[in-house]
Amino acid sequence: MKNLRLIHVAALVLALTASGPATAADGAALPWWIWPIALFAVSFIIGIVAVLAGVGGGVLFVPIVGSFFPFHLDFVRGVGLLFALSGTLAAGPMLLRTGMASLRLVMPLALAGSIASLAGAVVGLSVATDLLQIALGATVITIAIMIWAMKAADFGVVESDALGDLLRLRGEFEDPAAGMRIDWRTRRTAAGLAAFAGIGFFGGVFGLGAGFANVPALNLLMGAPMKVAVGSSGLIISIINSSAAWVYIHRGALLPLLAVPSILGVMLGSRIGARLLSLTPANVVRRLVIAVMLLAGARALLRGLGIWT
Amino acid sequence: MDVKPHDGPIQRLYARWLDAATKTGFAASLCAFLLYVSGALPPYVAPERLPELWSLPVGRFLEQTGAPTGWRWVALMDHGDYLSLAAVALFGLITLLCYLRVVAPLLRHGERLQAALAIAQIAVLAAAVSGLFAGG
Repeated sequence: MKNLRLIHVAALVLALTASGPATAADGAALPWWIWPIALFAVSFIIGIVAVLAGVGGGVLFVPIVGSFFPFHLDFVRGVGLLFALSGTLAAGPMLLRTGMASLRLVMPLALAGSIASLAGAVVGLSVATDLLQIALGATVITIAIMIWAMKAADFGVVESDALGDLLRLRGEFEDPAAGMRIDWRTRRTAAGLAAFAGIGFFGGVFGLGAGFANVPALNLLMGAPMKVAVGSSGLIISIINSSAAWVYIHRGALLPLLAVPSILGVMLGSRIGARLLSLTPANVVRRLVIAVMLLAGARALLRGLGIWT
Repeated sequence: MDVKPHDGPIQRLYARWLDAATKTGFAASLCAFLLYVSGALPPYVAPERLPELWSLPVGRFLEQTGAPTGWRWVALMDHGDYLSLAAVALFGLITLLCYLRVVAPLLRHGERLQAALAIAQIAVLAAAVSGLFAGG
């Protein structure tokens, strides 16, 4: 039963990506209303898969829609930011209530990230599309390899540094899986701030949520427990993307016909994904996501190089 | 472990406002979009024209449609597409609203550094919302 459901999800994602080039080529010939429906369907599926695989939706949305739909990358990146923003805003209240996200930890990191993301969004809208496609393809393929290679680390309670002490970057949460209250604190605060500035910049350039990078920065670099890293990453995306999204709105790079179905799709899909989370084998979904990212990344790369247009 | 007792209530306050604002944004986007695609509100750029235009870079799209940049779209909210844009833009204001809500409780509990970070974040978001970084 579980495998059957998973196969359905896999088949849908792969069918959508595989049929994309043909439909993209006929973009102007098809009736306009096909595209919002297709976007809703793709966003809904990405919403489910992203939750199951523990990645931000933007990292799947931008390469898939940018490579297989007829929209210019300027519009796809604008929607990608709002896509990741709306999904993380919807998940935020639950993460904060359960203590999986820490507002105290998020505040300094999100501030560094959102300043850099504004610069990234401005740069992203000023760079030639071919160059951006190449960079996007290379980035997405690198991220897929990172997700494949990444392992969570549990450092226990780490020694905090002077800046971390000053900001009181510590907290506690109830872990129902472990059946205990976990105290935590973080380390390497200055390096963490620098990492989030870099992540924010790339997120702004490509219209990604960048959860793939937030989690290792919080867990591996700063020593936050994995659950706090995942939860706080979502809240950080919601703050960082709020800044960058306005650059796209003000530049006229946000088409409501593309944005609204994507937002509604991901918000509904994320809820289904959260329900399926306990039933689905995470490793299989993870492999599926890596495969889709490699395919979409290769497509973006080859499109940028003029090999597969 | 030195966890401040007011951390939980402030975090839950942020969560309550985030929850309410996100639900409002979802409902507003859905209603505005239905008005747009049903034709109940006339669009500024007809959806039928978009398949010829959305493959263009944003600069050329703006040239061909005369669509506004900056905050000038607010004057076009009687059109279905720009009413939908306003609803979507609400998502970009939610974090600003939540941060504004927690500044006073942070100051009340003597969390000056956290309050300063919140105020700095509000300033960055307000600058982004104002269009200061949108450039040309």
